[in-house]
Amino acid sequence: METHSPLERLLRGIALTLVCLFFMFPIVWIVLMSFQTNETILRVPPSVVFMPTLENYTALITGRLETAAGTLNIDFMGNLWNSLFLSTTSVAIGLLLGVPAAYAFARLKFRGSEDIAFTLLSFRFAPPLLVLLPLTIYFQQLGLANTYGGLIWVYQLIVLPLILWIVRGYFEDIPADIEYAYRIAGHDFWSTFRRIALPLAGPGIAAAGLLSFIFAWNNFVFALVLASADKQPVTVGALAFVTASGIQYGQVAAGIVLSIAPTFALALYAQRYLVEGLSLGAVKG
Amino acid sequence: MYDKEKDLIDAYIRGSVSRRGLIKGLGALGLSTAMGGVLLNAAATRALAADFDWKAHAGKTVKLLLNKHPYTDAMIANIDNFKSLTGMEVTYDVFPEDVYFDKVTAALSSGSSEYDAFMTGAYMTWTYGPAGWCEDLGQWAKDPAKTNPLYAWDDFLPGVIKSCAWNGQPGGALGSDDAKQWCIPLAYEQNNLTYNKRIFDANGLAVPTNIDELLETAAKAKAVMNGGYGIGVRGSRSWATIHPGFLSGYANFDQKDLNIDAEGKLSAAMNTDVSKEYHRKWVQMIQDSGAPDWSTHTWYQVGTDVGAGKSAMMFDADILGYFMNGAGNAEAGNLAFSAFKANAAAAAPTPNIWIWSMAMSSFSADKDATWYFLQWVTGPEHGLFGAQKMDLVNPARASVWADGAFRDKLSKSYPGYVEMHDASAPGASIKFTPQPLFFDLTTEWAATLQKMVAKEVPVDEGLDQLAESVNNQLKEAGLG
Repeated sequence: METHSPLERLLRGIALTLVCLFFMFPIVWIVLMSFQTNETILRVPPSVVFMPTLENYTALITGRLETAAGTLNIDFMGNLWNSLFLSTTSVAIGLLLGVPAAYAFARLKFRGSEDIAFTLLSFRFAPPLLVLLPLTIYFQQLGLANTYGGLIWVYQLIVLPLILWIVRGYFEDIPADIEYAYRIAGHDFWSTFRRIALPLAGPGIAAAGLLSFIFAWNNFVFALVLASADKQPVTVGALAFVTASGIQYGQVAAGIVLSIAPTFALALYAQRYLVEGLSLGAVKG
Repeated sequence: MYDKEKDLIDAYIRGSVSRRGLIKGLGALGLSTAMGGVLLNAAATRALAADFDWKAHAGKTVKLLLNKHPYTDAMIANIDNFKSLTGMEVTYDVFPEDVYFDKVTAALSSGSSEYDAFMTGAYMTWTYGPAGWCEDLGQWAKDPAKTNPLYAWDDFLPGVIKSCAWNGQPGGALGSDDAKQWCIPLAYEQNNLTYNKRIFDANGLAVPTNIDELLETAAKAKAVMNGGYGIGVRGSRSWATIHPGFLSGYANFDQKDLNIDAEGKLSAAMNTDVSKEYHRKWVQMIQDSGAPDWSTHTWYQVGTDVGAGKSAMMFDADILGYFMNGAGNAEAGNLAFSAFKANAAAAAPTPNIWIWSMAMSSFSADKDATWYFLQWVTGPEHGLFGAQKMDLVNPARASVWADGAFRDKLSKSYPGYVEMHDASAPGASIKFTPQPLFFDLTTEWAATLQKMVAKEVPVDEGLDQLAESVNNQLKEAGLG
């Protein structure tokens, strides 16, 4: 049995605490800020002792922000909902299209398969601003400008290549013999895909879904250019607290806490799949 | 229900009852000031309607692209009056300032017809106008068939309205006879001193009246600030570092950014002896008494620090001081204002100005209807509403500045603000030379200032290098 001396345990504890403090400090500081007023945040010198207040969260949830220049109406919860809707729907559609495509690229060798896969990957290389102006013009002609449908379509530029390439690597790592054995037992192609390939690729699909959700959630520029104010995600909405009459640091912090909460919760829940999925998908046997 | 009250307010609008008489009369009728304000605004709307066919575009919709700003809040608060006056519908998108101009540029450069009108700064129209993205509003403003006779063009402060007009020729004088009116001002910012009266009084500091005194006072203030610093000015690598206090003081010494010769060719003008002397003092002021992280300071840091009591004063936009003197800031109520004349020998201050204004998209589907909104929102009635009831400071119309209620409101909570404005408004205008490389050249100027403050390059040498680079860029662009 492995034993550790008390000194070793103490040093290990101190080292772990220091590492945790280092990585968690920005998050903890932001959480603390979210319970303070602008006045206490901007104290000179700064202090961690303060009277906590919920007014920042109240302002975000009720949509009424009190500033030096009066009351501002903000739609942060609307932005949060937009982010949730756009990211979830985009990832769902991305998975629906990307997973079968990844399977096809991994298992079926057909003419031009590598070219198509690389073309899809190249969507990630294109600087968004380069494609956005032509897209704006096309979207207006097609009636897609300022619609959720149009945005979800554009979000496929972010999520589809990611899902496709991560999941493809994962499918390639699953020995094809398992699937062949299942088919020899009399099952058809579709049922082999559904009952064998998909469950085995589960961690990879979860990892790809989670990563693409995070990328979609953090996207800023697509909705900004292609949609009006009522369809903006949280990344654009959070800037509403930076106003000519001052930066509302408390509300910025509360906004950050609320906006990272869904991805944080999802990442905590799925981190096992994420690590397993990414590492297995990345290493070729 | 309110017949007596309406008669009284209509009499005030006609000018047959004084403001004092109006307030007394409303009091006698048992009406609060707030209710009186609502009725007064409605009466002003009726007065507007009496002389002009405001219903000509009833049923049409205008869509606006707006920046998140107190001026926008004033517009939105009064928009129902426009709707009832015209029978038109108004929809709008409001975007945060940080991304606002990205949104405007994307919408205009793609030829989007989604927005009919948008908020802009005058500098931006030097790009938008020649590119054919926005309209010359003079076409509508000077057409009596399309413009309300009470619009009162001459009521705009001359330096402000002229700063929004340019003939499109690089180096062409703003507001020249052949200039096109690319935008019409809502309100503007002058750059002057905002100082912390509490700190000044407690330490026996006098308000500086020229650049030498500014250096001296900033150094004294830093010595007593206990961890804070003496003076806030912007320092980020951006055009926005040049345009506020820095250029206002620079212009006070009759210095220019660019020269223009008889053939209309431009050349750098910032390496004269006077300019070098001014730069030396400015750089020394930042080194001795500025923020330790000055090179990152933008509007937000400069304002936040003076509002939090971290700096003793700032040489920046007066309305930034106005906002920082409001509730939610540690130094609320302690800030005071002073017009600043950097050159002791100059006759008056010469603040460079930033103007929030309204422009019409060239891709608007119904420009006449859009003009109806634009003439209303830049008209005297909305200006007065915004100034009296909201935070539309500094309004661009002389009649609004002459309004007693507005002046009283300012004087009550913002000591010295009205006096500061009145002293510097006659010399207030855009001091830059309009030309298409504006953003590139001013950003390089800011980068050079950063090098000087960091002692990477001596002031004289830095300015000579800047002038050479500016001249090269102008030549490459066919402007020099």
